[in-house]
Amino acid sequence: MKIRPFGESALLVSLENTIDPVVNERIVRFYRKLKSSGEFTFLTPAYCSLTVGFDRTKFTIAQATEHVKTLCEHTDDLAETESRKITIPVCYSPSFAPDMEEVAKHTGLSSEKIIELHSQTTFRVFMLGFVAGFSYLGTLPDALHCPRKKTPRKSVAKGSVGLAGLQTGIYPVTAPGGWQIIGRTPLNMFDPARPQPNLVFAGDEVQFRPISPDEFKLIAIKVDTGIYETEIEYA
Amino acid sequence: MEKPGLYTSIQDLGRIGFQDAGIPFSGAMDKESHKIANELVGNPHHYPTLEITQIGPEIRFEGTGQIALTGADMAAELNGKSIRRYETIDIKNNDHLILHQSRLGCRTYLAVRGQWQTELWLNSHSAVSNLSSVEGIPKPLKALQCIEVSTPNFIPQRIYPEHLRPVFSSCYVLRVVTGPEFEQFGIEQIQSFFESVFTVSPDSNRMGYRLNGTLENYSTLREEISSGIVPGTVQITKSGQPIILTADAQTTGGYPRLANVIEEDLSIVGQMKAGDEVKFMLVGLPDL
Repeated sequence: MKIRPFGESALLVSLENTIDPVVNERIVRFYRKLKSSGEFTFLTPAYCSLTVGFDRTKFTIAQATEHVKTLCEHTDDLAETESRKITIPVCYSPSFAPDMEEVAKHTGLSSEKIIELHSQTTFRVFMLGFVAGFSYLGTLPDALHCPRKKTPRKSVAKGSVGLAGLQTGIYPVTAPGGWQIIGRTPLNMFDPARPQPNLVFAGDEVQFRPISPDEFKLIAIKVDTGIYETEIEYA
Repeated sequence: MEKPGLYTSIQDLGRIGFQDAGIPFSGAMDKESHKIANELVGNPHHYPTLEITQIGPEIRFEGTGQIALTGADMAAELNGKSIRRYETIDIKNNDHLILHQSRLGCRTYLAVRGQWQTELWLNSHSAVSNLSSVEGIPKPLKALQCIEVSTPNFIPQRIYPEHLRPVFSSCYVLRVVTGPEFEQFGIEQIQSFFESVFTVSPDSNRMGYRLNGTLENYSTLREEISSGIVPGTVQITKSGQPIILTADAQTTGGYPRLANVIEEDLSIVGQMKAGDEVKFMLVGLPDL
């Protein structure tokens, strides 16, 4: 673990520079531990690093470093923290999947096989970022590896599910982006009206469930009227 | 709000503590001017102000109250007569305020005495520039929009001392501390970063300031894995161009972070506009 100053009122805690669920799990544990201490101004967990904001009137950089170090060192002996598995319905039909053909061409797989691989893998939410909590999920089976689009789109619809490298992700709001779009979820991944606007957080597990266009419409209505119950399993 | 101007939004000290959900910090770009404006009308620092960018709005006041203007000089006129910045101004019913274009400095702050009855999201009134299409999040102001502020009482006029007011120009020196990836840059690139005079690109906004100019002989470092960003982070893009990330920046990024503008100088960044010149000066971190 390396801790260094990041500006004057934040620290960067970093582990081995890699995208790896084991490394990310340690980051998530640091994040949860520091969050529960309530002593820090903000926390930004990422793949293999955690940005920790502190109040300069309460800590010097040296004190904050020492404190973060002590807290992080005592996370490995914590009992397993609660983990959540969230099932996200996705409609992979062509009207929601403008890049399915490109992905099929690149991977040499049929769209049926792409859907099967994508929906039978349990993904880890490595981090949120980009815009309003875009969720970066991994890791895709090697067979689904596909580069980003050469020219990013100016607008990708809210709920779009995309691929980029060995990552898959969900657009929480309509935004520009270069991921290969293979489906769309009717769920509100981000809703400002909720006390916790984001549906998923770093450390959660996600599995996609293929749905038909009719089921997409039905779930969208349930979501809009507030009667949809998100499928969450607690372990 | 009769005319909104180029980009006018309500800002306060921002949303700190929601970055784990990928939500930007937001808040006033020039926090110093924002705070002074609030002090001049007797409001606490965390109350909102109007942040007015480069070309000012036209505002009609209904009822009485007190306002103050700080930051960039937009040749403000109240009912056709020019008014001073940095002092408390009494407003009568139907007063008409026009702000023109700023020549030096980029942002003017308009404080109004009292409680603002505007949308609050996650403890802040601040608009978020890249979420302006999302329902339920404070947005930049539009023509004919009305903002309600309840003024409890009047305070005696306050004037901010002249010698303490910031002076805006068209060339700035920003103090920076080293960033997380500083050591990965070669000496030649580091030297060119600190010796170059960069100019602010027109493609700059509340999310970030792009600077024209590139580090000498820059070849991309190893690909960075996305990691956190704080306001003032200076990233170097693939082409060697620096970007200073500001209030509405995304919470994570993938370019190497060479430096970090010190918090005191972030207010200066908020006053830089396209074409301004900027140079960086390295300073040490306190109490290490």
